[in-house]
Amino acid sequence: MEIREIQIGKLLRADNSHFVAGCRVKELGAPALGALCKVSLQDGLQIYGLISNILIMDDGLVRQLVSGVSLPAEYTADNRYNRNLPVEINVLTVGFQQDGVIFHRLPPRPPLSLDVLQLCEASEVARFTGTGRFGYFRHILRMVDSPLEELLVSHLAQARAAHEAQGNAQWYPAACQELITLLRDDYVRLASVLNALAELE
Amino acid sequence: MDLSETENTFNPPIGYVVGGGLEANLQVRLTVPAQQVQEGAFVVMDSGAWRFYGLVTDLQLGSTDPRFADEQSEQRLPPRLANLLHGQTLFTNLAVMPALMMERGPEPGSPEYASWRQTHAEPEKAKPLTVKTIPSHHAPVKLADEADIAQIFGKENKAEIFRVGETREQGHPVCLDLDKLIQRSSGIFGTTGSGKSFLARMILAGIIHANHASTLIFDMHNEYGPDGTSSDTGAEVPGLKGKFSSRVSLTGLGRDTDFGRLNADITLEISYQDLYPEDILQLTEELNLKETTASTLDALFHQFHKDWFSQFLSMESGTQVEDENGNKHPAPESVEFWADQAGINRMAASALLSKLGRLKNKAYLVDRKESSGLDQIVNLLKKGEHVVLSFGRFDSDLDYLLVTNLITRKIRSAWEDWTTEYLKTREKAKEPRPLVIVVEEAHKLLNREMASQTIFSTIAREMRKYYVTLLIIDQRPSQIDDEVMSQLGTRISGSLGDEDDISAVLSGLAGRQALKGMLAKLQPKEEVLMLGWGVPMPIPIRSRRYDQTFWVELLSETGTKKNLEERVKRLGWASDDPE
Repeated sequence: MEIREIQIGKLLRADNSHFVAGCRVKELGAPALGALCKVSLQDGLQIYGLISNILIMDDGLVRQLVSGVSLPAEYTADNRYNRNLPVEINVLTVGFQQDGVIFHRLPPRPPLSLDVLQLCEASEVARFTGTGRFGYFRHILRMVDSPLEELLVSHLAQARAAHEAQGNAQWYPAACQELITLLRDDYVRLASVLNALAELE
Repeated sequence: MDLSETENTFNPPIGYVVGGGLEANLQVRLTVPAQQVQEGAFVVMDSGAWRFYGLVTDLQLGSTDPRFADEQSEQRLPPRLANLLHGQTLFTNLAVMPALMMERGPEPGSPEYASWRQTHAEPEKAKPLTVKTIPSHHAPVKLADEADIAQIFGKENKAEIFRVGETREQGHPVCLDLDKLIQRSSGIFGTTGSGKSFLARMILAGIIHANHASTLIFDMHNEYGPDGTSSDTGAEVPGLKGKFSSRVSLTGLGRDTDFGRLNADITLEISYQDLYPEDILQLTEELNLKETTASTLDALFHQFHKDWFSQFLSMESGTQVEDENGNKHPAPESVEFWADQAGINRMAASALLSKLGRLKNKAYLVDRKESSGLDQIVNLLKKGEHVVLSFGRFDSDLDYLLVTNLITRKIRSAWEDWTTEYLKTREKAKEPRPLVIVVEEAHKLLNREMASQTIFSTIAREMRKYYVTLLIIDQRPSQIDDEVMSQLGTRISGSLGDEDDISAVLSGLAGRQALKGMLAKLQPKEEVLMLGWGVPMPIPIRSRRYDQTFWVELLSETGTKKNLEERVKRLGWASDDPE
């Protein structure tokens, strides 16, 4: 099946566990918190990540405009469609694909600047998340100083829809069970995650 | 039985080992609802080349964090999430007392299996060993299936391997090796109404049917021989005489014992000459005898020999004669006169005579040269038959103590002589017939005060080597002498409420603490706990019902010519043929 590639930005900076892509404000409709995306390297390596944060940066002009008493609509439109400052998309690396095989461990090297960040289609989401036994959860659970529960609930909602579209209703309960197993010794965090997941029921 | 047989049938695990040890019991994480397993369940654990057998002694609720248990998350979370959460954070642990282990070898088909078979030519003949090591972490735990239970407790064979009940959860048959049961003294315990009399009837039926031992039943309440009526249901309860008419002799104490529709086969009347001083001394408490009694009895026996009782009872108390000087002296026929002559205190002799007067009124004691029925009982038992002695109207403790001791003393002497004779040649044909003496209300004969005086404690301690053992039936095991209790090989107990009774039944056994709760929670009339030397491992069971089905199953075997002949005999068609 042909996978339609949705480009959502280009790499600004990266390390093995995270990378940051930039995009124009007008391109911001596609990426969403928790979405699975990937960067394809020239040597065939594909690095997968979850969008963990989206930053809208400011600059001097925006500051001046914000402090103005009244702002004409064309000023706002010009700022959004023509400004040079990119929107930053933070991506948490969760695995890679090499020679057609998906791994839930960190890639051997990070993607390079200006590599293209693409949003994964539902079928690819189902394939990546359905591989193995939720090994990529450990990367998510390692996150600190981030709204882990919100990332999880957003991701699970997307992945559940992808699996259910393929007739697999068992993936979501299994994912919840795995999360409970991984967090059962951390009452506070698990309770918080379950409260968030309750919205999906 | 080949262990691989049990592996071919699907028996899903109920959990896996998570910790514990030999001393502190194994901890097993349950993976099925707690209600599927009960305390006392018999479980098996396969680990490496070994199969372990254990008993569930406790079920404990646990949680990965107490807050998961405290909070009713099902009220806050959607049902599916709550269920998933509970499945992962709330759990039940089983405490499993490991009891036995048996080598099962490597997995069949593995490279190691072939070399293992070279050193284990007949793995089906492997015997379970007392547990000496433990299964590994995460070893799967299963409820024992029928084959597992048969592997340990044997498979019913309509003879010495006798089905005594079923496992409580799954109803798999549990058997008792009657040959092992009769090798040592054993006990059946339980509070009133716990079903111990029915259980005793059933086991006695099994022993008589297996025909590997004789039995002498001291039937204090007249409930083993003739048919009776259940006090609970009013239904007729078959007696042993009705079912084994040619092999069971009903013996009445005295002439007018009532057996209902049946007649007594033997009437027991005991000659004064068969009474010995030790028979009287065993009645010390009942007759309120004093410390001087022993010397008085010694003097009587020394002077009159076997006539001592008759002579003593013929003496008069307090009769005097006057001499020519008007002084009064004991008359020659008086007990005081005899006391003076024998150098015994007059008061002591007179008091003893007065107390023994109670025996003079016992119709079963006769002033004749020989007893009636006593030798007949011993001879029947030696021939391999079974005797039920009913006490009829003589149901006081005094009668029970006197008669049981007297008969048992006679039996002891006969079996000791028999064994001594056998040991000279060790000819199989001359080997003594094992004898089981069944004693109800055993605490009256074997309490701490009496145990040293009665013949029964000697039998419990020593008579095994002379082929005589006891089957004691009692509701207050704590009243029985500790040493006697410690000698009991097999113990079968119904429910017991008293802490001391529970401790007494478990005395001298491993895992007492774990078994205590189990004993206290047995279902009256339905469940018993089997434990002790005579059973491979402790196990609570739902006891077999003593009803028409029991008798049909017991007596309707098919097969060998010998069995057929025995059946014919039991039906009475050849009742006169000696066995």
